[in-house]
Amino acid sequence: MAPWGKRLAGVRGVLLDISGVLYDSGAGGGTAIAGSVEAVARLKRSRLKVRFCTNESQKSRAELVGQLQRLGFDISEQEVTAPAPAACQILKEQGLRPYLLIHDGVRSEFDQIDTSNPNCVVIADAGESFSYQNMNNAFQVLMELEKPVLISLGKGRYYKETSGLMLDVGPYMKALEYACGIKAEVVGKPSPEFFKSALQAIGVEAHQAVMIGDDIVGDVGGAQRCGMRALQVRTGKFRYLSDSCGPGSFASSDAEELAGANMPSDEHHPEVKADGYVDNLAEAVDLLLQHADK
Amino acid sequence: MAACRALKAVLVDLSGTLHIEDAAVPGAQEALKRFVTNTTKESKQDLLERLRKLEFDISEDEIFTSLTAARSLLERKQVRPMLLVDDRALPDFKGIQTSDPNAVVMGLAPEHFHYQILNQAFRLLLDGAPLIAIHKARYYKRKDGLALGPGPFVTALEYATDTKATVVGKPEKTFFLEALRGTGCEPEEAVMIGDDCRDDVGGAQDVGMLGILVKTGKYRASDEEKINPPPYLTCESFPHAVDHILQHLL
Repeated sequence: MAPWGKRLAGVRGVLLDISGVLYDSGAGGGTAIAGSVEAVARLKRSRLKVRFCTNESQKSRAELVGQLQRLGFDISEQEVTAPAPAACQILKEQGLRPYLLIHDGVRSEFDQIDTSNPNCVVIADAGESFSYQNMNNAFQVLMELEKPVLISLGKGRYYKETSGLMLDVGPYMKALEYACGIKAEVVGKPSPEFFKSALQAIGVEAHQAVMIGDDIVGDVGGAQRCGMRALQVRTGKFRYLSDSCGPGSFASSDAEELAGANMPSDEHHPEVKADGYVDNLAEAVDLLLQHADK
Repeated sequence: MAACRALKAVLVDLSGTLHIEDAAVPGAQEALKRFVTNTTKESKQDLLERLRKLEFDISEDEIFTSLTAARSLLERKQVRPMLLVDDRALPDFKGIQTSDPNAVVMGLAPEHFHYQILNQAFRLLLDGAPLIAIHKARYYKRKDGLALGPGPFVTALEYATDTKATVVGKPEKTFFLEALRGTGCEPEEAVMIGDDCRDDVGGAQDVGMLGILVKTGKYRASDEEKINPPPYLTCESFPHAVDHILQHLL
């Protein structure tokens, strides 16, 4: 790879993923990732523009920001681009009344939305609310519609919580797509509109921006397809062994366990090659402050 | 062509194909019989009870279901399954170790498709456990309307782990191969009789068997035109199929 000075030249703005970069969600408000609080503070003190670009859809922006502030992060609601508000915009523009397949934690984001007599389904990271009953309700709504519309807040496969890896909205979106023979519209990363709105919010062009995330496909691949650069962190959901290693292969996201096993670190996704791989946000910020244009 | 095959085994679909008035299969003593079905909500015991009430003289080991196919596969792979199947299907897995699972079996079991359990299954699969699906039906009919089948949830886990499930029910090849496994017959030495052109006949022929389509049960006019190659034979009903076998294939 080219030296960091070249790779980060001309960067004026940074989009930061939240889960897996700033913190891992989980019981008791989650845990900050080592070095991330200070990294965000340093970024904010610099001349780089900062925007938080998250697919978080299990809790409202207010709740998410509150949790992060309690962990010491310098972050406010106005600095966050999240999928629920973007979805509400689309619902209003298209006169859609959704059956909400969501976690109660994010319901307040939909307060202005008419949910009577639903003519579409909105699916988010519902977590424990992905009961068979709720999934079946959503399925029945879609099957009754002449023109079934399914809006999905992101399509991530899984994310990291402190207790381990958790199924995200993507698999459940695929379940409804398969059941009904339809395709969902994805609001959130990696949809280009989502990245563009985040860039617009800080007045930075794609070629001047870098995305930092833990999801090689959703964060890194998605950002690159919009003309941005992107750095992959080895925290959060990042796995040292690619999922395409097949059944029976040794897999772990525990660096120490793998180091002992002498397994090759797999940073070779078949389709996506990040502009750089860093251990964590702290390392990314070190490099940015050193090499991005002042 | 096919008339000179040495026929050693006959697979017969259950619902829609067997009739009460044909309980006896005259002269087919040399042919092994196996009764096959895709049901996932009844154990073999339950099916046996039902068939015996209809005066069929069948023993338990002559019934092969997609649950049987799943069990055979588990035994061959020597894995310990997390069983996401209807409670009524559990007897068919008796004797298979399920503690410390390293495989996942998914059947039609709405009560198991909640987040916690699916997440457990997901983590097993991410660690390399194989995913075995009884079938991938999108939905089924219940009293209160349509209800999600196992297919969508199998698809969910396939997407989450970037792997493919092994589907064991008809019309998958695995089903027919497993059904024949205990008979010691090659597919070319076997014939399948059924009323579902795609799932029974098409599936069997894909694996090298002869397929006989009977015009009973779910058969609809021109079904035989829907698969390629067409059925080896399309005939009125099960007894006609048996007549043909006795006259031409033995």
